[in-house]
Amino acid sequence: MDDRRYVTDVVVDPGAMRPGSRTVVLNGALKGDEALAPVEDELLALLRETGTLVRDFQLRDVPLAYCQGCFECWINTPGLCKTDGDAGRRITGAMIGSDLMVLLTPITFGGYSSEIKKAMDRSICMVSPFFRRVGGEVHHRRRYRRYPALAAVGVLHEPDEEQERIFRTLVERNALNLYSPATAVCVLPAGAPSPVVRDRLATSLEPVLGRLAGRAA
Amino acid sequence: MSARRAVLLVGSARPRGTGNSEALGSYLLARLAEGSMNTEVFHVGRCLRPEKERLLLEAVDGADLFVLSTPLYVDALPYLVTRFAERIAAHRAEQPEGSAVRFLALVNCGFPEWEHTRTALDICRVFAREAGFEWTGGLGLGGGEAIGGRPLKELGGQTRYLRRGLDLAAEALLAGRVVPEEAQALLARSGIPSRLYTALGTIGWLKAARRHGTLRRLGDRPLQ
Repeated sequence: MDDRRYVTDVVVDPGAMRPGSRTVVLNGALKGDEALAPVEDELLALLRETGTLVRDFQLRDVPLAYCQGCFECWINTPGLCKTDGDAGRRITGAMIGSDLMVLLTPITFGGYSSEIKKAMDRSICMVSPFFRRVGGEVHHRRRYRRYPALAAVGVLHEPDEEQERIFRTLVERNALNLYSPATAVCVLPAGAPSPVVRDRLATSLEPVLGRLAGRAA
Repeated sequence: MSARRAVLLVGSARPRGTGNSEALGSYLLARLAEGSMNTEVFHVGRCLRPEKERLLLEAVDGADLFVLSTPLYVDALPYLVTRFAERIAAHRAEQPEGSAVRFLALVNCGFPEWEHTRTALDICRVFAREAGFEWTGGLGLGGGEAIGGRPLKELGGQTRYLRRGLDLAAEALLAGRVVPEEAQALLARSGIPSRLYTALGTIGWLKAARRHGTLRRLGDRPLQ
């Protein structure tokens, strides 16, 4: 499938590139919402400095079917969604093949945008149908030996402590269920000036960016 | 005075008549109908065309009670539910203030513990606020897969606490009250013990894999 319309492999300075690490960015901006674009620019600039190879998906332009909740990816075609011919397998493949997965999203009722959610729902093939117990709760067992670290960058159109709290909890829960070895969350107000965005991103994402830099070095 | 109206949105993408969210929502709706409410059911997967979406938006605007019954997908509401929540909130922001619509969220998950649904219920509460609904409460259910898409009454004693919890919720909604905490406590007691649930779940996956000839491939790593 020709995916040039919605995927960008970020070009890095060949001299600076240490292709020891890979990052996938899922941009979940809804149609007509351009508040994420300047944040994405700063995010990509920060990632570039680590020397990681970035694969950047603009989800609103991606042909992607929604999860039907059929569990065939666990039983009939283990590890693969039955839906082929869209970008689903390419996105989950990029996720599991990366060292860092970054979700960039408008915070929507405290959660991810529908665009991010469509991609995340398709990720259940990355874990096993079988169970394990963690802290008294049941979760699914891992399918792969290694999983990417998880970072989420949420943009709030109005300050809202409740939504920020829910968003942080959601990312923690995802990290637990997707075996993320490290997690970072950054919440930004829409329209923040670039230096503020860059500073907040660098500080909040340090736990995962530091790992990338270490891996690439 | 015209009869009050309740609208149920089923958040599962599974075919009609096979989903656990539908079984749960239908049970609650039947209790509300017994209390003289008119009821109407929408399925997210059947509201994707613009004309169907418009019917859903109009029905919600004209309802006294809007009930969302949905599965938990990856710790939150599924894509289709999130999409409709975005559409409903945007639509209602453009409307002149109408009569109050009350909102109840019922979230079920495939893990035995209902606590997995907390984040999704929090998201539902914020959605209610943003869309101008009156929040009547959220109910979380663990072990939803044990329902198997069947009507709750057919499951007998297995669903007695669940049905009592939903009965209590319906009673409160009919009386114009918020859903009492006791309803959630009853849902939390519902179902089968965690270790038995996971054991039965494991056997279920193995049997299904055997039927499909994939028993030795269940641990495949095709994306690596």
